[in-house]
Amino acid sequence: MLYCSLLFIYGFLPVSLGIYYAVPKKFKDIALLLESLVFCGFFGLHLLIFMSAYTLVNYTAAQLTFRASRRKGILRVLPAAAGICLDAGALLFFREQWLFLLKGLFSVPENFFPIGISLFSLSAIGYLLDVYRGNIRAEKNFVRFALYIMMFPRLIMGPVVNYRSYLLILRKRRYNIGEIGSGMILFVKGLAKKVLFGDWLYMLYSAVKGCDFAELSAASAWLGITAYILCLYFTLSGFADMGAGISRCFGMRFPVSFSYPVFSGRIRYFASGWFIQPVHWFREYLTKPLSSQVRSKNLSKGIFVAVWVLGGYWFGFSLGGAVWGALTGASILAENRLRNVRLLKSNGIFYTFFITSFFAVFLSTGSVPDGLRYMWVMTGGSGIPADALAAYLFRAYIVVILAAVYASTDLFANTIQRIRCSKCGAVVNVIMPFVMPVLLMICTSVIACTGSSDAMIVRL
Amino acid sequence: MKLSNKITGCVLILFICFFSLATFFGKKKDYSDKENRPLADFPEITGQGLMYGDSGRELNAYMADHFAFRDSWIALGAGIGANVGEAFINGVYVTPERLIAADTSYRHCLPENAAAVNSFSENYDGAVYFAAIPTSAGIYSDLLPPYLAASTEKQMLDGFYGTLLGDIRKIDAYNILKMLSENYIYYRTDRKWTSYGAYCVYRTVIQKLGFMPVSYDKYTIRHVTDGFRGDLYSRAQHMESKADILDIYEYDDGTEIVRCRAYSSDGFVYDKELYDLAAGETDSSYKLYLGEPAAVVTLTTTVNNDRRLLVIGDEFTSCFIPFLTKHYSEIAFVSPKYMSKGLAEYLDPGDYEQTLFLLGIDSLETDVLGKIND
Repeated sequence: MLYCSLLFIYGFLPVSLGIYYAVPKKFKDIALLLESLVFCGFFGLHLLIFMSAYTLVNYTAAQLTFRASRRKGILRVLPAAAGICLDAGALLFFREQWLFLLKGLFSVPENFFPIGISLFSLSAIGYLLDVYRGNIRAEKNFVRFALYIMMFPRLIMGPVVNYRSYLLILRKRRYNIGEIGSGMILFVKGLAKKVLFGDWLYMLYSAVKGCDFAELSAASAWLGITAYILCLYFTLSGFADMGAGISRCFGMRFPVSFSYPVFSGRIRYFASGWFIQPVHWFREYLTKPLSSQVRSKNLSKGIFVAVWVLGGYWFGFSLGGAVWGALTGASILAENRLRNVRLLKSNGIFYTFFITSFFAVFLSTGSVPDGLRYMWVMTGGSGIPADALAAYLFRAYIVVILAAVYASTDLFANTIQRIRCSKCGAVVNVIMPFVMPVLLMICTSVIACTGSSDAMIVRL
Repeated sequence: MKLSNKITGCVLILFICFFSLATFFGKKKDYSDKENRPLADFPEITGQGLMYGDSGRELNAYMADHFAFRDSWIALGAGIGANVGEAFINGVYVTPERLIAADTSYRHCLPENAAAVNSFSENYDGAVYFAAIPTSAGIYSDLLPPYLAASTEKQMLDGFYGTLLGDIRKIDAYNILKMLSENYIYYRTDRKWTSYGAYCVYRTVIQKLGFMPVSYDKYTIRHVTDGFRGDLYSRAQHMESKADILDIYEYDDGTEIVRCRAYSSDGFVYDKELYDLAAGETDSSYKLYLGEPAAVVTLTTTVNNDRRLLVIGDEFTSCFIPFLTKHYSEIAFVSPKYMSKGLAEYLDPGDYEQTLFLLGIDSLETDVLGKIND
């Protein structure tokens, strides 16, 4: 039951919200945990069992780490190291394809995938590291810790926040209708991003991807990769917005995960605006501590790129993902070096989009040889600059692409903001209660036939 | 702004609650006439289903099937889908003239079917004829954008015929229909052929079987309904596509059908009519031809030549059978799709001196002929 299914929107969400607001303040955490358990249960009891075990293991590991902090040597490191190894091992085990042989050994049911494992394992590892370093005390309240790992609005697409910020968000919970209103608006926005833009662009992308690369024209290839990068953005950020919106309905204000990265002025901005929290996590827990250990500037640059490789691998769990990470990391370094070149300065948006979509080929194909072949087509290597397919797809999708490009920049949000601040700000406030239900209606009608939208599911 | 958010929040919550309650308390239907298919039942709660999350998925399917005002939602969704981006809804491509099933995945006829036909032919004394009928997607593939028309049914057919034994007589229905594609040989809202399409192929088939075809001008054609909406319409729910006409071809040469006996998949034996005119009036009007699908239908006619024909087919065949009844004293029409046991349990193929396989090509993509040799 993903957020974009009828069962969730018209069944689980209103019921869980009703229960949450009906119970007294004392029991709200427990209610939310029980609801999250039911949410996991919808994906199968296997997930429920897995999540419970995962939470229990991490809870225990954190307690032991905290107790061991007064000891010296191996005994001090052991609990944290064991916990982190288990978490990382679980992540690798479930996401890496070639470990399927091992799955038979552990009699893991076929098709079982703990949804959101990439994100909550980052949370768990970060938490253990924080406890080990003494930044925070180990959480004694099991309910609160369990919510940190498996709270249902955060389960699918994060955001990965550190435990200290999480506690702050929990403490600052606000229960009022205004908060629910902003939450619902954010949810509907996210739903529209996923079901409308994400799915339509996915149709375009799959039209190109289904073709034989040898017969593909350069124009089609560029259309395809543009659709891919926009589709990925709208799908991921749609899920993130839906999650954040639901959290907000429950009174919690989690930060946004994407800040209009696709059309950024610099590759660096692209990289920092795309999946903000995981990028931040990798910087906080890997790049910074490792760089502080080395003196040599070149070595720290090497570490920077290496962490990007790891980040890319974390995203795709494929060689293509790692190559994407390496290229992105390296291009950020190159950009820093060349930042004073006037030509680059004035063409920021163009070169950033050009380069990031070029690299995104590796994310899309997952394998390096296929990625290289696709790139070869993009540069005109197939000898066909444009063909009937490209013309057809262009004609059919130009409106969708233009709308998606517009919506993926901050132009739209800024326009709304500017109108709000101007004299006719009241207009926005008046039409909002009409626009949002219509948007929800459109999204519902699009998913009504199958009951859910599963065009592009990114397994994170 | 705060007030606006509050109002928006209230409106959205009310909107959601209204449809949740309407769905929860609304009357549940078992069958969707508009979509021509049974709707999902409330999922049975089993340990297995709960463990693997199937119950959750089934519950969502149930919710989707019984969602309040489902038909209107789907129509709205189809209207949006047809006008934004490609006119490609639930695997159906919408063109001004007709709806066409389109699939980006690789389609092919299963070799198991060829093997089954070959082994049937080897154990059979009479003559075996084979006609695979393309769907409307095969004949009208040039209306599709290039990437959707990737695997053509022509290639599928040629490949399949190539694997059949040499003494099976193959009938090239594809080229007959392709040449006539300007005519009303396929329904606009269905993947199947019209009675006229069937007639055009009948002319060739019956000559191969050793008879002279009845010429077109001898038929009286009766339009039973002009409101037929086929399976493609059900999938796409595209309101603007025009409904189709169902025809009956009648020719009075003095012969008539004495008995039409059906053996249903669950073992019942009953008599029925060649045309179920009552069904023609309903939403599932394709049942006009031979009524409810059955495993085996045997037709006895007053044709006095003691010729017997075994036809193995599917939905494509049911509007083809009426043309054959003018030539044989007995016809057995077998639908392997609805057989719950082997063919020999129903009849002895040796009683029939000719066997005609006449199946839609989409049936050959599934293991449909598995039971004919049992």
